[in-house]
Amino acid sequence: MNVQQGSEMVNAARRRRPLRWRYRLARLPVWLMVLGATAGMPALAAGDADLGEEIYTQRCMLCHGEEGDGMGPAAERLNPPPRDFTMAQYKIRTTRVDEIAPADADLVRMIHDGMPGTAMPGWSDVLSDADIQDLTAFLKTLAGLEEEAPGQVIDYGTQVPVSPESIAQGRELFHEDDRCSECHGQAGKGDAVKKLKDDSGYRTWPRNLTKPWTFRGSNDPRDIFARITTGIAGTQMPSFDDPDSEGRLSIEQRWHLANYVNSLEKTEKVVRPENTVIRALRLPGAVPTEPDDPLWQQALPSTFMLVPQLIAGERFFTPANDTITIRAMYSEEEIGFHLEWDDRTRSIPGEEAAEKIADPGISEDRVAIQLPVALTAGAEKPYFLHGDSRHPVNLWFWRSGSAERPAGVSLVTARGIADRDTRDAAEAGLTGKGSYQDGSWQVVLRRPLMTADLSQDLEFHEGTFIPVAFSVWDGSNSESDSAHTLTTWYWLLLKPPPGNAPWLFAGLAFVLMLLGEVWWARTAQRRQRS
Amino acid sequence: MTYQRLRVPRLAQLVLVIGGTYGGFWLIFDLWLGQPIPRSLMGMYMFFVVVGVLMVFTATEKSTGQLVGPIRALVEDPARRWLRNVVFTVVPALAALGVYLQMQPSDEPPLELRSIHPAPPSSVKIFGKRYDLMSLENPYRHLEKDDPEQFRELVAAGGEVYIRNCQYCHGDKLDGKGPYAQGLNPVPLNFQDIGTIAQLQESFLFWRIATGGPGLPKEATPWISSMPVWEDFLSEEQIWQVILYLYDYTGHRPRSWGHE
Repeated sequence: MNVQQGSEMVNAARRRRPLRWRYRLARLPVWLMVLGATAGMPALAAGDADLGEEIYTQRCMLCHGEEGDGMGPAAERLNPPPRDFTMAQYKIRTTRVDEIAPADADLVRMIHDGMPGTAMPGWSDVLSDADIQDLTAFLKTLAGLEEEAPGQVIDYGTQVPVSPESIAQGRELFHEDDRCSECHGQAGKGDAVKKLKDDSGYRTWPRNLTKPWTFRGSNDPRDIFARITTGIAGTQMPSFDDPDSEGRLSIEQRWHLANYVNSLEKTEKVVRPENTVIRALRLPGAVPTEPDDPLWQQALPSTFMLVPQLIAGERFFTPANDTITIRAMYSEEEIGFHLEWDDRTRSIPGEEAAEKIADPGISEDRVAIQLPVALTAGAEKPYFLHGDSRHPVNLWFWRSGSAERPAGVSLVTARGIADRDTRDAAEAGLTGKGSYQDGSWQVVLRRPLMTADLSQDLEFHEGTFIPVAFSVWDGSNSESDSAHTLTTWYWLLLKPPPGNAPWLFAGLAFVLMLLGEVWWARTAQRRQRS
Repeated sequence: MTYQRLRVPRLAQLVLVIGGTYGGFWLIFDLWLGQPIPRSLMGMYMFFVVVGVLMVFTATEKSTGQLVGPIRALVEDPARRWLRNVVFTVVPALAALGVYLQMQPSDEPPLELRSIHPAPPSSVKIFGKRYDLMSLENPYRHLEKDDPEQFRELVAAGGEVYIRNCQYCHGDKLDGKGPYAQGLNPVPLNFQDIGTIAQLQESFLFWRIATGGPGLPKEATPWISSMPVWEDFLSEEQIWQVILYLYDYTGHRPRSWGHE
């Protein structure tokens, strides 16, 4: 029997640094190709489409379909859906808007690196460069582009280096006449005010520009420049270099915009797999009640990945939210959680503006903190999906409210997703408040550290590791009941102030050792004399 | 003579060997492989390294003398009193620092031991039927020889089951790196790895797929696997088909009792 230790930490560490440079290194050939194509060299040796078809059948067909039309058996369970290669629409490309064909290097790159934020992985560890070229040749036959010469790559002009001035100019262009903010939102979080659809009628969402790790084609200013220049084929993202459009921007303006977009990253919302502990900060005063209280920024943020509920009951495959960021603080009496997550839509059933943007069947946005009802001895925890029959959990809910009822909290004890009792939140002392701004919810949930009934609620003690998990519902994305996103178990730690004990024992150790040394030296000298 | 003068003192050699071993571990596992050894395990390794090195260095009386000599000289030689006083202050100060750091409240979460391949029960109840896991075989496996065409069809059917249900976590490439893998603990198994399905019989896979995380035996706690209970979503036939696909795509062979 194999034993794996400290799975979280080890696995976390495995994914850290080395991957990053390996990834960069692995991309080198692609960059060289891009460079080659840009310099007008004969782009790439043409691949063999027949060999490419074999690879396609083995590696790609299950998602992209037998005909290459994106209608593989999992199509309706993937968001975004697999690319339809028969449309000859390539979203991430570097060729001019009036060109029919992409550069071969564009296709090669997507296969090589994959598309972050989608189910498309990078294939460089499985396919050789020659394989990828064969595959590229085959993909072009699916779109009828096999006879087409590769398109002409866009003019990058002279790159404007990142600088505060350039970013400021970019910001102005972004907001001027709502050029970009109309869809990407005032803060760039993609909190759209209108429903967007792609050419095949599929609902699309503007990119959340504060999360560049979800950019399908990286957030290098050069890549962002290319997106702004070419637009994104088949979607409502237009080209800002279209000669026929009044909205055309100069090369320099596009570089400013690219630098601004590149500057929007919110680093505290990066998932760091090695971080599995929410460290609650001890406050001298009371826990703040307002979600936008600046005091919350003093607590260390922990961001966790939200995974759709694929496990039980009615399964859910097409989530809208991807991460949640938690901060926690406690006073002598109370503990408070600050939950923040990007949600493009504020879902208030019955409110006209919210109904208009939501998918049909709108319900309230909700968030829940999950805690065991009691801590068990040893490592056993309740089932992470809302507990189990032997280990119930408490769910602290906050919901966004509807036209009929105001926002509020509720308390539920659950033994699995099918077995739930709603309890009196006020009796348990649970209070909460939420606010929505520019594409983000911020919610505060508070409860006294102690409880009147230990059989129903756990108490929060300093120095104890308490399992904690989270669930989120986006009511505008048809998420309700068991259709939602959730995290696995993480830890909450109320980190006690160290007090005097470490100093005391350190002093004691010093004195004892010194005494021992003096005794040693004395006896040695005495022995020498005699 | 020159050689003698250039010799590294035994005490320094001892420190170098122990430090070098530790540094080597760190270089290989932390820096190069990016898979740090857990601290408790490292403690055990280093204990044996220190004991072993001490045994070698004190194997003969002469070598013991060479090792202890400089230390004794430091304590006893009046000419080195100044150096002795420095050492005698620094050592307790370091010890005090160690104690101080040790006493700080820890941020390290509790270690979670997990058994990867828990021993299967001899028989399990799945789909309302009782299966003897010792004798259970994939009913389609014989077709690989008997009817290769039908076998290919069953593998393809297994691929559809996989892509509709399993790839979200285990990945398109069966490498355990699906789009949601990062959000799960423990992380999904990598079927390409030689240490997973290549070590198992098909009946074991059938049991683990059909009963999922909640079906893990008691001794396999912590009971935190996110593996769904697939008997709720898939048919018996689909589970056997997806097993065919796992072995076919990765090129591994299932283990058997060897009486073929």
